[in-house]
Amino acid sequence: MKLRRILGAGAIAGLVLIGIPTTPAAAQDDPVTMTIGLLQDMSSPNVTVGYLVPEFEVWNLQYATLTSKAADDFSTIPGLAESWVESNGGLTYTYTLREGLKWSDGEPITADDIAYTINRSRDEEWYNHFSTVENLDAVAIDERTVEITSSVPDPKLPTMDVYIVPKHIYEPISFDDLESYEALDGVASGPYSLTEWRSGQDWTMVKNPNYYGRDNGIDRIVYRVFSNADAMVAALQRGEIDAAHNFNASSVEQLQNDENVTVVAGLQGGFTELALNGMAGGIGDGNPALQNIDVRHAIFYAIDRNVLFDRVALGLGSVGTTLSPSADPSWIPDLGDEGFAYDPERSAALLEGAGYVDSDGDGIRETPDGDPLVLRYIVRSESTDAAPIAEFITGWLEAVGIGTETTVMDDTQLYDAQVGGLYDMFVWGWTPYVDPDPMLSYFTCDQVTYDVEEAGYNDANWCDPAYDELYQQQRVELDSAKRREIVAQMLRLFNTESTYLVLLQDPDLQAYRTDRFEGWLQQPANTGPVLFTNSSPTYENLSVIGAEPPVTDDGATEGTTAPDATTAPDATTVDGDSAATTVAPVPAGEDDGGSNTGVIVGIIVAILVVGGGGFFLAKRRGSADDRE
Amino acid sequence: MSDADETLDVAPTTFSPRAFRWQRRRASAADFWSRFRGDRLALLGLIVLLVFIVMAIAAPWISPKEGLSAVDSIDNPTWAPPGRGYPLGTDNLGRSVAAQFVWGSRVSLWVGLSATVLTIAIGAAVGVTAGFFGRWTDATLMRLTDWFLVIPFLPLAIVLASVLDRSLRNVVLVIAITSWPGTARLVRAQVLTVKQRLYVDRARALGANRAHVIRRHILPNVAPLILANLTLAVPISILTETTLAFLGLGDPTRASWGKTLEEAFNAGAISRNAWWYYVPAGAGIVMVVLAFTLVGRAIEEILDPRLREGGA
Repeated sequence: MKLRRILGAGAIAGLVLIGIPTTPAAAQDDPVTMTIGLLQDMSSPNVTVGYLVPEFEVWNLQYATLTSKAADDFSTIPGLAESWVESNGGLTYTYTLREGLKWSDGEPITADDIAYTINRSRDEEWYNHFSTVENLDAVAIDERTVEITSSVPDPKLPTMDVYIVPKHIYEPISFDDLESYEALDGVASGPYSLTEWRSGQDWTMVKNPNYYGRDNGIDRIVYRVFSNADAMVAALQRGEIDAAHNFNASSVEQLQNDENVTVVAGLQGGFTELALNGMAGGIGDGNPALQNIDVRHAIFYAIDRNVLFDRVALGLGSVGTTLSPSADPSWIPDLGDEGFAYDPERSAALLEGAGYVDSDGDGIRETPDGDPLVLRYIVRSESTDAAPIAEFITGWLEAVGIGTETTVMDDTQLYDAQVGGLYDMFVWGWTPYVDPDPMLSYFTCDQVTYDVEEAGYNDANWCDPAYDELYQQQRVELDSAKRREIVAQMLRLFNTESTYLVLLQDPDLQAYRTDRFEGWLQQPANTGPVLFTNSSPTYENLSVIGAEPPVTDDGATEGTTAPDATTAPDATTVDGDSAATTVAPVPAGEDDGGSNTGVIVGIIVAILVVGGGGFFLAKRRGSADDRE
Repeated sequence: MSDADETLDVAPTTFSPRAFRWQRRRASAADFWSRFRGDRLALLGLIVLLVFIVMAIAAPWISPKEGLSAVDSIDNPTWAPPGRGYPLGTDNLGRSVAAQFVWGSRVSLWVGLSATVLTIAIGAAVGVTAGFFGRWTDATLMRLTDWFLVIPFLPLAIVLASVLDRSLRNVVLVIAITSWPGTARLVRAQVLTVKQRLYVDRARALGANRAHVIRRHILPNVAPLILANLTLAVPISILTETTLAFLGLGDPTRASWGKTLEEAFNAGAISRNAWWYYVPAGAGIVMVVLAFTLVGRAIEEILDPRLREGGA
């Protein structure tokens, strides 16, 4: 499952500041390389164990799926399969593969690979496959025909977006060895295959010559991991990298002023929520006051999400409403005036009505039993937004007479506290799939953690039989309009009854240079990001500007440091030219002097260090000689 | 030895022993102050320190606490440079940087002082015990000290701080746990030399028990060393607190200079050139650390005649 993504490890590693050397200059006939900067390393490129966002990008490129998703609206389009027919009342689909499909190592891609992947991942419950293939059975009819049958009505079909792995590589790997498999075999069915991964530094994907789709003219894609967002932004502006993923919102303004850079604040359903402990699991020590729905609503009314949107999200993304179950925003219903708009008076009235009154005049209300109403708030250390959000929320709660005690935890500690029910409130987030089913399933009673040893996904620690019943209905509803209506009903119920207040719809902040490649696609159209999207359609749509010999990194660097005034109208072509001729007619402006100064200082330091070291060694040898 | 001789020389005067003791103390304090006053840098350090201490104590009157609250700053402009109404500008959430600076001095000074006192207390206890009792007590305690000495300081502090809850008390604890071994070694060395002196043997011969010897002879003789060590250890404690807070391991609910630096860094103040956000906190740390170092060095020089210029 695509889980909570882990972001912003850069905050701690940030001590290692800037000063990254430029990528080695490419030789004349070197392959065309596109470099993408990001802050997060992979956990594992192994499709059966990885779970972080970068891994999904690697798999999207390496493993073609039976059906693909349109860039515009996630609709199902042909992938490895060129067509499919329905039978058996929607339970069975028969897919016909494209002709002449080959893996990157030359082996043919057959129906056998597909049946093998689906059946094995179901039997072995592969982490990223299982929710899709749980009820499926696949049979290879012939080389190009595969028949997939579901044991229950499945509205997700005919979409088949599980990553198909090469049978000839995976068959010899036993179930026990699979978890530790390195997955650097480089055998791809998609446009690129992973060949090298240097943990903490970068990974490289090279073009698959046997890919069935369009050739974009880019031979290699390098993903470079930065430990500091500001350093990544600087690298983008210098032209060392062609795109950057997930920088700080505070850099947006600076990048928007750079004419060679386009900034995209793409939404794909990810959100940040305030979760209260509903104690549905019956374990832990959540404050009993939170089981009173009036207290929960009082907390929700005390919080001004518009301020969080303006001051913390800096107006990027959108204000949260209810649970966002899908990367496709059209699933979220209009809540009307059920949306918990900021209303501190109403909040105070709800608390008074529930018997929470400040009887000793210390500014904190007391529970009907006479204890002060103080809630423990866990702040995530791995998000740079968590602390400012906590500043606001604790301030607002204090204003309505609810005390807070904040503690900071990393994601592992927070996870333990959450499954153990050892908290009152925390702020965390989710990123959903395209189909709403998995996200909706997390808040059923089945997913509540009743025993820490068998933890579920339900971190609202709340559940409702009415919600569960609707969940089961939408799960087997094949009429899409009816299913949408049921889901909307679930989301309204979740909004008013649950322990979640969805604070923000989080954007993926991305930026790309416009001077080397063109054809960047947002998924979904207009609102989505361009990179790290659900099915990564951007890559196939890109092309190299000018289509002439590749731009060297040196050239790109010089082009961007040229004073803007001279190159303003058509910066892109100037950059292309200066790159091609290597020694660009760049006036020796201040910027250039600055970088030269840096080099000179570096050289002097190097001489001092080497020279000093040499002197020291010489001295030591001298004194050793003296002694003899 | 010289101490014992002096006592013998002045013994036959007419003062009562208590009055005599007080007179000596007064005299040595006056001597100390006259020497300290002679060191201009130390005096400057002392003045800077007093200014910061007054600021820390008077924080509620200088800058109302509401200035620290994001909710109470909703109407303020964000990223406002220093100017009207905001003497040091505002941060990314519209909070006053001046308020953070004033209130931050409290945490820095408090943690610096209390962590140092705890450090010295642990270090002195271990050092005196090891040095005085010798044998296996010494061996055991010194191996423990060595063990703490060889562990790189910052990683240990980070690990401890991440394992413990984030609170001011734990930051103090982490600093003390990681920085006592130096003091312990120093104190032990001094105890070893003091222990060999004749007057200790005499006291023993006259029937003094160990507690008496430690209290009346050993401790008074290591006290000056501990005092000098104290003032020099404070800057290290302050810097450690700042480091931990900058790494996000400090108390999240208290404004400290390290936390201001962390927040400025996370909010992108550096690439934004919002110097007013991070310069005051940085300057505050530098000034307090420098002031403590200057004062500490002067105290050390006065108490240890070997360090005095021309005092050899």
